Amino acid sequence: MRRHLLAPVVVLLIGAALAACSSSSSGTKAANASSTTATLHLAYLADMSTPDPDVFYDIEGNTVILSAYEGLVKYAPDSTTIVPALATSWDISPDKLTYTFHLRQGVTFQDGTPFNADAVKTSFQRRLDVNSAPAYMLQPVASMTTPDPNTIVLTLKNVVGPFMDYMASSWGPKIISPKALADNAGTDHAQTWLKTNADGTGPFKLTAFNRGQNYELTRFDGYWGAKAKFAKVDIRIVPDMGTQRLQLQSGDLDVILHSFPVAEIPSVQGNSSLAVKDFSSYLQSLLYLNTNKAPFSDLNLRKAVAGAIQRDSLVKEVYGSYGTPATSSYAPGILDQSLAPVSYPPSTAKVPGAGPINFVYTADESGIQRRMAELIQQRLNAAGFNATLKEVQNAQVYDYVNDLKNAPDMLLMTNTPDAAHPDTWARILWGSKGGLNFLGYNSPKVDQLLDQGAQATDKTAADQAYGQAGRVLNDDYGILFIANARDVMVMRKDLTGVQHVPNYPWALNLGALGR
Amino acid sequence: MGKLIAERLVALVGILLALLVIVFLLESVIPADPVRAMVGASATREAVAAKRHELGLDKPVPEQFVGFLGRAVRGDLSLSLHTRRPVRDDLTAFLPATLELALTATFMAAVLGFALGLLTARGRGTPLRLFLVGGASVPGFLLAILLLLVFYSGLHWLPGSGRLSSSITPPSGPTKFYVVDGLLHGRLDVTIDALRHLVLPAFCLALAPAVALGRVLRSSLQTVLDQDHIRTARAKALPERRILLHHALRSSLNAPLTMAGLQLGMLLAGVVVIETAFAWPGIGLYTVQSIASTDFPAVAGVTLVLGAAYVVINALVDVGQLVADPRLRVV
Repeated sequence: MRRHLLAPVVVLLIGAALAACSSSSSGTKAANASSTTATLHLAYLADMSTPDPDVFYDIEGNTVILSAYEGLVKYAPDSTTIVPALATSWDISPDKLTYTFHLRQGVTFQDGTPFNADAVKTSFQRRLDVNSAPAYMLQPVASMTTPDPNTIVLTLKNVVGPFMDYMASSWGPKIISPKALADNAGTDHAQTWLKTNADGTGPFKLTAFNRGQNYELTRFDGYWGAKAKFAKVDIRIVPDMGTQRLQLQSGDLDVILHSFPVAEIPSVQGNSSLAVKDFSSYLQSLLYLNTNKAPFSDLNLRKAVAGAIQRDSLVKEVYGSYGTPATSSYAPGILDQSLAPVSYPPSTAKVPGAGPINFVYTADESGIQRRMAELIQQRLNAAGFNATLKEVQNAQVYDYVNDLKNAPDMLLMTNTPDAAHPDTWARILWGSKGGLNFLGYNSPKVDQLLDQGAQATDKTAADQAYGQAGRVLNDDYGILFIANARDVMVMRKDLTGVQHVPNYPWALNLGALGR
Repeated sequence: MGKLIAERLVALVGILLALLVIVFLLESVIPADPVRAMVGASATREAVAAKRHELGLDKPVPEQFVGFLGRAVRGDLSLSLHTRRPVRDDLTAFLPATLELALTATFMAAVLGFALGLLTARGRGTPLRLFLVGGASVPGFLLAILLLLVFYSGLHWLPGSGRLSSSITPPSGPTKFYVVDGLLHGRLDVTIDALRHLVLPAFCLALAPAVALGRVLRSSLQTVLDQDHIRTARAKALPERRILLHHALRSSLNAPLTMAGLQLGMLLAGVVVIETAFAWPGIGLYTVQSIASTDFPAVAGVTLVLGAAYVVINALVDVGQLVADPRLRVV
């Protein structure tokens, strides 16, 4: 009788054992295979919003966009230097209103369509027609002409200082095959089709886009430049960092592109097959103060916060060697650091008039934001404040400007500019209408200086204006600049050709990567 | 039974309406600006307002609610703010994965639960009980990590994430259940690979329901086994196995079935955690991504689907009870 009742259990166990036996061999095979076959395995923590370069405006997804598409120009690795991509050279008129791009010849799109000036014009026009977030980069364009198939001339409505940087940005205009755009136009400028497909001139074709599951990039053998070394790139959606780490250690994943917990890095350093690499980035950790209401409408209290957080030791404690105290309100490389310097002498004194404050932060998988926020809270409370700490979502943060009197007193967040140009940072961060100006810092003087900078035809004059805009903010203690963060990746040691651009966070040049 | 089904349908509509009201109330209470997040940092305030108007989010919440209902009745669940696709398309893409996982977990829970209940009712199966209870007392996410550490990372027996290995291209349809589709297309490699991917997440989900099921089955079996008709059966010298399976089991099923309904509902809740840990591309993962981007249309869509599933499961349990225990049919 007992035997009969046990039967199903025994069958189950035998089944499990069989599965285990049959799979143990294939499991090891897979692990071995991943180091020899020509597939690169990456993971995203979340789906990218869309692979449409005229809509995409996030950080997760940069690798896909930059592998499938190219713009006219790009940034050189580890640099802010703008170098040729689909344009081989360009002329800018002395009045900075006319940009003439000479295009690369012999380039074809992934569908075989030849690349030419008309394709550029079509793509630029599409970005304006789609009119999504990144369209602003082309909105200053008054006219586009194509005097010959290899030349496109853009005339601007007014001087736009960062225009070339817009062209080089990861969110900058990318050239999409005009044939694909026409064939799949529909009623929405091919937006439906481009949500799951791509057709650019980049080194990889997007051959599968399975939302929530994986994206597959396949080497484009007709690429005009050096062909990619990997035949395929498999990007899996693995939303749990713990799972990503297990996969990396098991050889199923080649790179963790971002958000690796800093506290866990020492455990990786003992692993002989893994390497921790950190790259310069424009990611800055920022502490916003709400100047629109008490208590931080009081400059003395804002200044006291800057001292009480003891910033330099804070940064060392939280980032270790993967971040340094910010030396300016602009990341290094974007603007001469001495033009808008910041320093916050530490203080352990009690702050007179300190009271309760609402303090929020946006969390990330690396745990850096949470740790930083908790330490800031401790230090402020030691100085006599009574900070209540709360974690919030990005979308909530965007709501604060709608009701600044009820918004939090303090916000900790890490941000990065659209391009390596001071205008793309200052204007959105502390310009009065800036999209990242979450707690409504408002200074007419800053707005005036930013316009002065953007319209200057002379770089020195422009930089002076941006520097002064930074100094106004710094004297006001409206936003405290905490740290310049490194872009930290953990990868298999046998990867070669690792190229990173500071303005393309969380991304590597997959075309150059090999094993 | 017709009356019961009609009642359940009315209840379904009522519950779904109530759920939607809650989602919309939450949307109006939670301070968030998903549109601002969607159009990006460099957009002018005018562009944000235009986008908000385009999405109908500038209207008062009751009006938005009526609009949403009107579209939902016609099968249009609005546009997701994060994926910028119709929520219905997203759900169609993510739901089969969750269903396949949930059905496998249900099957596993039933097998393990019945084995546990039948064995322990006769005072046996202590090792199995200890194993299952021990496993079920570990929180889901921890159990997931433990299983991954042992079976994926340590022993390399089973894959660690997703529904299929990346080297395998799934067949297209018709059920979107890879195990079934693999069989239908004669692709045994797909079926086996899909099953291997299912084992760990399904086990994680099945464990707690299995234990609950087993314990309830055990106690109702023990009550029934003490009753007169069982003594009569024993007096007739029927084999003990036959007594247990034919005479005792059927009249003991009432409580376990109720428990199964409740547990399946909770299994759907557990899906969110387990899918995240195993990178399972289902509704749970979609929910996590939607909440993170304050994507209310998506959250409302998921709420509708999971709410409907919960009601339907409980209705099925009611029907199951009627079938199993004829005494209940007398009203």
